Amino acid sequence: MKIAAQEKGKTRRARHSEQMILFTVANRMFAIAAAAVQEIRSTDSLAVSANEIEHSEILKVRHTLERSHQTYYVVNAGAHFGLPVTRPTLVLILRQLRVAVLVDRIERMAEIAVIHALPLAFAGEERRWYRGLTYIDDHVIPVIQPAGFLTTDEFHRLDSAINAVPAPRHLLGAFQA
Amino acid sequence: MIAEIQNADADTYVLLQLANRRFALPSAIVSELAPPVRLHTFPHTSPLVSGVIVRRGRIVPVYDVASILLGRSSSVHRFYLIARRNFPDGSEGSAIPVSGECELVNAKLQEASENTRPHISGHLLVGDESIEVLNFDALLASEPAPHNASRRVEAQS
Repeated sequence: MKIAAQEKGKTRRARHSEQMILFTVANRMFAIAAAAVQEIRSTDSLAVSANEIEHSEILKVRHTLERSHQTYYVVNAGAHFGLPVTRPTLVLILRQLRVAVLVDRIERMAEIAVIHALPLAFAGEERRWYRGLTYIDDHVIPVIQPAGFLTTDEFHRLDSAINAVPAPRHLLGAFQA
Repeated sequence: MIAEIQNADADTYVLLQLANRRFALPSAIVSELAPPVRLHTFPHTSPLVSGVIVRRGRIVPVYDVASILLGRSSSVHRFYLIARRNFPDGSEGSAIPVSGECELVNAKLQEASENTRPHISGHLLVGDESIEVLNFDALLASEPAPHNASRRVEAQS
């Protein structure tokens, strides 16, 4: 009967609070750890440095970006989450992953002390998308899992599409910053 | 109602109202009848889940069971009934929107016939009325009707 007692441990209490960037895509708010983001740039500034991928099988990725001799895949967050098409104005260049993410805008920074585990009811792709849920100012906000933007298989297919020279660390989609 | 449920025995059921129909749940799995607090939504791909509510500092998933039980989503509800759903790896409080007050009854379960839908475990005779008893775990694991399933990743808020 006492569900609360049976569900101990489902909420992860961080030893220290974590800095998050709150951003929106199609009027939906998401949180991503500030430590997971290397750089935030406007999409305008990327107009000259982004390259279009011809015949991309992965519809949420249409462009690449060259950074530090690495090819980053630009993921449209709206397409990734199945949201209505918007006009992204910012790109979050992630750390540790060859991924950049198109988003509409940054709302603000926030310190989060508690990340709730995603309820077991959620059994689909969202288990890969999110680290969990947080509760800020009366809003439940999903906390992004940065590695969930592209699977290893998607990295393989994108690497093939751009005819990249395959190197083990490329295939894993990770590099040492 | 919670105190009553905690004193209830195995033959005690909570009657819940969905639109103009009544169903029953074993009281042993029911924890709370919650007010219509805010439904929080975010993108996901789990078909029957409409979002989450926050109750007593916990995040509780909400299931649109009307699409299974009534064949359509029910837009009008007054409360959330929170009961325990079992998973292979544990259990969690799970909410379903209900249309009206719930009622506690004592009655004997009449076993379901073999051709009954899997989310119906039997029925109760309450007065002149035969009320279907829900198998909560089977109900929440059901696939919604195709027209509802098509709203995959429809991020609601």
